[in-house]
Amino acid sequence: MTHAEAKQGRILQILRMSTEDGPGIRTSVFFKGCPLGCLWCHNPESISPKPQIQWLKTSCIGCGLCVETCPEKALEKTPDGIVINRLVCTGCGLCTEECPTTAMELLGRKWSVPDLVRELVKDRVYFDESGGGVTLSGGEAALQHEFCLPLLKELRAKGISTALDTCGQAPQKTLAALLPYVDVLLYDLKEIDPEKHKRFTGADNAKILENAVFAARFKKTHPYPKTLWIRTPVIPGATDTPENIAGIGRFIREHLEGAVDRWELCAFNHLCRDKYKRLGLNWAFAGAQPVEKSLMESLAKVAKGAAPETNVCWSGATRLAKSAESKEPAEKPNKRQPACAG
Amino acid sequence: MKTALATEVHLKEPKALSGRIQWLRDYYFRGTERPWNNEFTCWTTGTPWDVIYNEMTFYIVPETYTLLNTLGASYLQAARPVSLHPDFWKWSLVERRAWFVKEAIVNCVPQEILPGDLLAGARFNIQTSMCFTKEESRAWQKLVKGKNGARAKMKWFHDHGYGNAGATSGHLIPGHERLLQIGWKGVHAELMSRYNALSSTERAASKGAQLRAMMTASTMARDLAGRYRSLCEDLAQKETDAVRAAELRTMAANLARVPWEPPTNFWEAVQALWINHMLVMTDENYPGAGVSFGRADQYLYPYYEKSLRDGMQRDWTKEILKCFWVHANTAYDAMIRNGNQGITAGFGQLITLSGLGADGRDMTNDLTYAILEVIDEMSPILEPKPNVRLHRNSPEELYDKIVDMIESSQGAPFLLNFDERSMAGMMLEARKAGLAHLIHEGNVHEYAPVGCLENTMVGNDRSGTVDNNLNLLKAVELALTGGKDLLPFYDPMTGKTEAILQDGPKTPDTASMQTWEEFWEAYATQTRYIIQKCVDLYETSESIRARFFPTPYLSCMVEGCAEQGMDVTQGGARISFTTLEAVTYATTVDSLLAVKYLVFDKKVCTLPELADALRANWKGHEVLQAMAKNRAPKYGRDDDEADALALRVMQLWCDETWRHQTRSTGRRYRPGMLSWNYWAGDGYIMAASADGRTKGQFLSNAICPSNGADTHGPTANANSVGKVLGGKAKDGRGDWLDYLNVLPNGASHTITFNPSILRDPVHKDKFKAFLKGYTLNGGTALQINMLDPGMLKDAQDHPENYRHLLVRITGYNAYFTTVGRELQNEVIERVSHRQF
Repeated sequence: MTHAEAKQGRILQILRMSTEDGPGIRTSVFFKGCPLGCLWCHNPESISPKPQIQWLKTSCIGCGLCVETCPEKALEKTPDGIVINRLVCTGCGLCTEECPTTAMELLGRKWSVPDLVRELVKDRVYFDESGGGVTLSGGEAALQHEFCLPLLKELRAKGISTALDTCGQAPQKTLAALLPYVDVLLYDLKEIDPEKHKRFTGADNAKILENAVFAARFKKTHPYPKTLWIRTPVIPGATDTPENIAGIGRFIREHLEGAVDRWELCAFNHLCRDKYKRLGLNWAFAGAQPVEKSLMESLAKVAKGAAPETNVCWSGATRLAKSAESKEPAEKPNKRQPACAG
Repeated sequence: MKTALATEVHLKEPKALSGRIQWLRDYYFRGTERPWNNEFTCWTTGTPWDVIYNEMTFYIVPETYTLLNTLGASYLQAARPVSLHPDFWKWSLVERRAWFVKEAIVNCVPQEILPGDLLAGARFNIQTSMCFTKEESRAWQKLVKGKNGARAKMKWFHDHGYGNAGATSGHLIPGHERLLQIGWKGVHAELMSRYNALSSTERAASKGAQLRAMMTASTMARDLAGRYRSLCEDLAQKETDAVRAAELRTMAANLARVPWEPPTNFWEAVQALWINHMLVMTDENYPGAGVSFGRADQYLYPYYEKSLRDGMQRDWTKEILKCFWVHANTAYDAMIRNGNQGITAGFGQLITLSGLGADGRDMTNDLTYAILEVIDEMSPILEPKPNVRLHRNSPEELYDKIVDMIESSQGAPFLLNFDERSMAGMMLEARKAGLAHLIHEGNVHEYAPVGCLENTMVGNDRSGTVDNNLNLLKAVELALTGGKDLLPFYDPMTGKTEAILQDGPKTPDTASMQTWEEFWEAYATQTRYIIQKCVDLYETSESIRARFFPTPYLSCMVEGCAEQGMDVTQGGARISFTTLEAVTYATTVDSLLAVKYLVFDKKVCTLPELADALRANWKGHEVLQAMAKNRAPKYGRDDDEADALALRVMQLWCDETWRHQTRSTGRRYRPGMLSWNYWAGDGYIMAASADGRTKGQFLSNAICPSNGADTHGPTANANSVGKVLGGKAKDGRGDWLDYLNVLPNGASHTITFNPSILRDPVHKDKFKAFLKGYTLNGGTALQINMLDPGMLKDAQDHPENYRHLLVRITGYNAYFTTVGRELQNEVIERVSHRQF
């Protein structure tokens, strides 16, 4: 066994029959740890590269075994449930092993490449029938590139299509190493203004834009990646301005021309709200609602105007068109935005 | 209180119905308010010892146990006497029965045509005298109702959590294709020539009696059609509307030909099919329990194609079919005033569409689509229950049509059957039972399911597909106690509690068991025991039926009966298995996994401590219960280790099942997995189980993972099911291609999807790809349900039962129970309005 194969990855979740992380039916692997810290992040538990503990109230039976087990005395049983002192908790996970209900959960388990591959090949027939495969997502998978590279190689060797879902904030040589084993590159461009980008995500976008250009050129000059999708989260009060969308569009037109197979605007989603609570974090977007459908439609138009050669589409849940009390007929599902209108 | 959650759910509505069909459908749904209905009428020989109502037919319907006396008595009280033929009492029982049923339906039950109806054959639900002599009646009473009779044995078996068994009716596909090809005239002629070939000794014996009875029965459809023909002619004369009068005249002409003569066009063929089918229900005195049509889009196609060629409009063929659909639903009228529950909620006249033909050809045709359109336009409607056969090369157009129907009905208005896996099971059955001359590579594609999903061959096969329903979990209970019930049985009718007795084999005291394998051995011993016990129970009703309840009309439609001069109830069908359906499979597997995990791997308790926790229904043992529920491995997650034990459980009971056959009728046992509604009801009877389930919670359904155990999504669920059925042969040499299937009967599998999977064309393609993947990796049959707001609301109230519930709102997945209440409400609203 080589050194690289012996390496372990820290994985948050493996999601089978994922239909939202690239073409076809996919198994998505969510890696723990991200170089950015977007204010709106849907997966706040994926930001820290360290293992974390969370407690699920609905699963707990109040037996208190976790409190007894904790070697750091980081847990306390209160009338409101288990309180985790995160300053003391080391994420050792002993409490999660003792918990009879799995209410105490360890976020970020270690996986070896062979074990993970064994899990990922299980849905091969569904991948084959749908043009799907495995998506490495996160967090930021590229942050664990020493693990990802042998993983991607092994999946390629087994004939399984791969996708890398990246924020682009990675050393160029990391991308250069991974891209030959990536069939589909899902690349986020969130905000075109470097100042705002820094404010929203913790880093400016210089490296991200530079890597986007690199990836697009790589795609044109190498057999892989075969497909490049740009994804832009539409976040209310942040990235949802026509200026931003037009700016990203201009960038795509000027620098990525001919390499982008799809540009997808992804509507903000607030279903993650309770994750922040569980992690003991405040969320800047706790009060934000899904965006209006009309906004997505108008931004898609802006996008199309800025990058006319690019296949633009939008996805995601928008604000409910009406309250339940009103008697307007519900929207027919088929009348929704088709997945891609390019 | 009206909250934001009181959202209206959008239900599928029928569409594109003509005035005629709209009226008939609306009329049907008026239910008990209808002036006309097809409620049982009862007919007696008038003797003081008469018996009406063969209660054993209902032994597999626990809801009716408390009603057996009432039903038997009230049918008798309501019965009208039939004037008997002067020689009636000189005849054999089977001849009496053939004559009596025919006399009742042709000459006693009134004939009616509903306004606008294009098919004749309205009332068919009857309860007829069993035509017993005094001696027969006395013998039957003792065998059925005596102290150790069939009823008492059945009740003990059910009360103690073993399950149920009984010789029930239906559950086969009569030879409709042959009937259409040669007409009853041809059947009658064949019976006559067989009879004429008998020696005088044979004629005087049971063979002669059977053939004479069948000859009588074979004229029943002709004589009934004659009645309806006269009625149509009368109505046509009185009819003022010229168009309707012409329809009635055509109906009269149709009835002048069919079903005695072979049909010459589509209308005649559907008319013949309806009368031939409905009279099976008449003959068996049971409304449509799994009396299935088989591959109607195949055998009706020549008539369809010819009629279209002769100028019949395609819409008119659908109009005729829609009338057929209304007729099939009137089966439910049998006990209409009891309400729609229990047995009255599902009669299962299954109709099969599409599927493989010879040489791997796909058999989808335009009639397949016409019938699917009829279903789509009539839905929601219950009968006949459609079943679409898919295989690796099913056409894209068929996938598109069924996915659209699933989307508009929010759940599949049909069952999907999967050919390769199913055919592998049929081939295995042929090999196991030496039937390779009847089921082989050249004809196995002709199989079709009956009832719910049970695979059989067509026209020559009765395999008792719901006759034996055994709770495998009972063997875990007995292994934990060394062969005794965990809890004493309390009879709410008498208020008495029975003492716990040694019932199963005395397997070793669990306190002495050092290894998991020792426990497994005890489980295996108890499994052998409960199967034997079920076989013994079934023998009681099987032997009584064979002696006392012939169905000569049905026997005419099943190959083998005429040749052998033997009734179908005596094992006359050429393929005559009886099926042992395993109930509680996943609960059993998960309980064994939990025993292994808790006692032998983690050593958190001993076997006697576990048994104590179960006796206490987990009260005071909540931590142990939580570990059993949440920490022990579970079947249904594509976890190779857990599924390996599941396969071991499967192999054990399959091997044991094949070893048995009925003594009275020589029918070999074959394994299947269907648990109808028993998994719900028996959850209140069986003690708490080691998987963490409390007494009163549902057991697992058929081959599905336990409720809530399906945490890894639909693909993992399907893979687990395929694996425990045998998966694929490693050397590529399976029983059909590389497929293996240890359950020839098939296994019921249900998966609930998020409706967002069908929200746009791209996602519909993903869903189609899932179905195609299922043909490769999954089971024999699949029912597709869609998550609905009701289920989500239940998940809010009982999060512990729904930890697997992943909601997918575009671009985001979350376990529903981990989302706060406010956002849960929003998810419910999105699902209600299909806004994802």
